[in-house]
Amino acid sequence: MTGIDYLFAFGKAFFVVMFAMNVAVLLTWADRRYGALLQDRVGPQRAVVWLPRRVAQGLAFLPAVAVAVGALFFAEANKEDVQSRGGNAVLLAQGAIFITWFTGLVIAGSVKARGPRSSFDAFIQSLGDPRVFFYGGLVAHVGVLLVAGLLRGSSAGEVFVDVEYRGGAGLFAAAVLSGALYAVLQMKDEKIGLRLLGLLHPAADGLKTAFKEDFIPPNADRFLHSIAPMISFFPALVVLGTVPFGDTLCFGEATSDVNLGPISFIKTGHLDPSKLLSMVPRNGICPDHAVKLQVVDLNIGLLYFFALAGTGIVGAALAGWSSDNKYSLLGGLRAASQMVSYEVTLGLTLIGAVMMYGTLRIDEMVRWQAENVWGIFVQPLGFVLFFAASVAESKRIPFDLPEGESEIVAGYYTEYSGMKFAMFFFAEYVAVVTSSALMAAIFLGGWSLPFFARDGLHIAIGGNELFVQQMPQATIVVLGVLGFVVKTIALCMIQLTIRWTLPRFRYDQLMRLGWRKLLPASLANLIVTGLAILAIQSAGPSVTQALGVVSDLTQAFVAVGGIAVVVLFIRFLLAPAEHRRVVSSTSAKFAALAGGTHTARMSA
Amino acid sequence: MSEPRALGPRKVVGTPVARPKRTPAVQGYVPEIARGLGITMSHFFRNAKEMALGQRNDPVLDGISDGVNTISYPEQRRPYPERFRGVHRLTHREDGSPRCVACLCCSTACPAQCIYIEPAEYPVGDKRRGYERFPVRFVIDELRCVFCGFCVEACPCDAIRMDTGVHAAPYDSREQFIFEKDLLMSFTGRDGSQESQNPRHEPGDKGYPGIDRTKAH
Repeated sequence: MTGIDYLFAFGKAFFVVMFAMNVAVLLTWADRRYGALLQDRVGPQRAVVWLPRRVAQGLAFLPAVAVAVGALFFAEANKEDVQSRGGNAVLLAQGAIFITWFTGLVIAGSVKARGPRSSFDAFIQSLGDPRVFFYGGLVAHVGVLLVAGLLRGSSAGEVFVDVEYRGGAGLFAAAVLSGALYAVLQMKDEKIGLRLLGLLHPAADGLKTAFKEDFIPPNADRFLHSIAPMISFFPALVVLGTVPFGDTLCFGEATSDVNLGPISFIKTGHLDPSKLLSMVPRNGICPDHAVKLQVVDLNIGLLYFFALAGTGIVGAALAGWSSDNKYSLLGGLRAASQMVSYEVTLGLTLIGAVMMYGTLRIDEMVRWQAENVWGIFVQPLGFVLFFAASVAESKRIPFDLPEGESEIVAGYYTEYSGMKFAMFFFAEYVAVVTSSALMAAIFLGGWSLPFFARDGLHIAIGGNELFVQQMPQATIVVLGVLGFVVKTIALCMIQLTIRWTLPRFRYDQLMRLGWRKLLPASLANLIVTGLAILAIQSAGPSVTQALGVVSDLTQAFVAVGGIAVVVLFIRFLLAPAEHRRVVSSTSAKFAALAGGTHTARMSA
Repeated sequence: MSEPRALGPRKVVGTPVARPKRTPAVQGYVPEIARGLGITMSHFFRNAKEMALGQRNDPVLDGISDGVNTISYPEQRRPYPERFRGVHRLTHREDGSPRCVACLCCSTACPAQCIYIEPAEYPVGDKRRGYERFPVRFVIDELRCVFCGFCVEACPCDAIRMDTGVHAAPYDSREQFIFEKDLLMSFTGRDGSQESQNPRHEPGDKGYPGIDRTKAH
């Protein structure tokens, strides 16, 4: 191993741990704050950092300068690279269009909300409703893509690529800078409150727990009481080790150490990092150096997940036993029996997926899905069962019997406080993230995006290529990682919504659901999967071909559905809010005179 | 005396209630869960959007309508009515001394007995000596105060007012609610002034309504 291998190993582990912990913090925030919002409450959002105006302006402007300069530098540096010029041109043009309409939309929205303050504001307002910017941007996105596709190969196409390349980079930089400048000019107050939608609140809460009293009951087993939160927290985090978060990185073969500039003390061995920015063949075979984007490349894959995920039970059971409290003991017992019950379903549902993919390695499962079809289309029942079982495994509503407040105070962590309590609490959220990441990898195609192959975008149905766009390897991998992150967060959000919606089961209902419904259903899923695999294997090549077309159609379905969801969501965001205005009481009349409650000063 | 009740289980009297209709969709559990998630999500998205984009209700102006109606106190405040009785203040004379003449009307009128005044005579030679006294200490226990406003009504000199528009703030300890004279004199009315609208005439002024030292009585 050379220096860069250590760097990669550390970087991957760091990424995974940071991803799990940060998403867990985000979930804590979303669970408290947005869980309140759906009950028409504001929720915790009080934590604030007051920044002096200059600092706030710098925070807004300097990153924008960095991004703009980076884009220009990228365009300048890759000017001569003929092979990936087309891909880079599309990237720059689309990025520029996106930034332009987004900046315009934000400015128009804020102008509409507070009224125009300058001639520029008036100009923006004269352009029309904020929605105009979004729909105009959408049309520009599609239009530029279409024109580029139509002109491909002709001399006009060359000119268009050139315009896209240069104009895209320039427009991108200009839009980013002008947006940041506008934001800077809007900052008029002496100090700017950094609230981040209330995101600082979980940070403040986390800090608070570190300073709280660490109470241990007098007759408790001090050692086990202290170690239980760690036993609960650790496995939840490390199971992410085998989950791949991106496609394999292909490096070139170098004859000697490559000079990495400022970090040249890191020895690269025979690895050539420059190949990252070029394209790789579609079949995905790396002739030289391949770096898998997963922390450990274990051949037992899923078994590692089961081995460690089951360990979390021990933490809960130990906590219950060592607290010297009957409620804790009851909670620990409930946790142990519940998790043992659902562990069975958890394992059996995945056997179907393992049969389908023919491997235990999660990265190969993802690759199978990228080449064929997402797991959710071949294992729909398996997905639902696994989802239910993993919600039960993370001991969350509606399966939160081990900590049922109405019955056993707080269950196995009744006697915990301060950071130890926070670790239990956090372990629950990390478990949500890890189970979502695993589900995303096994059922939602992991890092694979519809129609994206190793060398670019290939929109094809049954062998007929409709659209091809070559892209460098780095772009594909980054898009894949982003896709994986988005899928994981979407699954996390569904888990949160379930928590916000469903009431808690009774204990007998919980056991009945686990043993009498989910378990038989997972066994049935196993049998049906086996029969289906046998049928496909014994069928002729025409069936295989038809299945290939169907799998392409599912990819098209996912792609179109995903884009439609995004468009509908932005349309929803842009819809004006309609409130009934009912000024009835004297207080309301007084408030109306004072300009409303939202702007009223302290002395009223 | 009524008949002694027979031992054993009583016969339940009542009309049978029809069980709720259980369609396969309800029994299947998953469709109903999906419907519930949909309702949750619709509330969530609407409220989250209105919070993030600043399109929230004004709970006073819009009445209690759908969506988040909470006021984010203290950044946002419900305006108090014009005649709201807030924390007391002691009004000033033109020279900055308290208008209070330590007549003890307010502390006498106070039903909560939360006002304590220590009166004193002006020094010999002061033109006010012999006509009025001044408070050495003027203490109000804002925790005891019931905000009835009797002290304001009772004051003959317009020296104590409750027009600050500020409610008693929460503090850490009881001592902090004991407002001394200096603190009470530092508050202003809603218009920002520390004086009173009513004119005051000092002894010796023209038109001074009280007894005049130069005239014999």
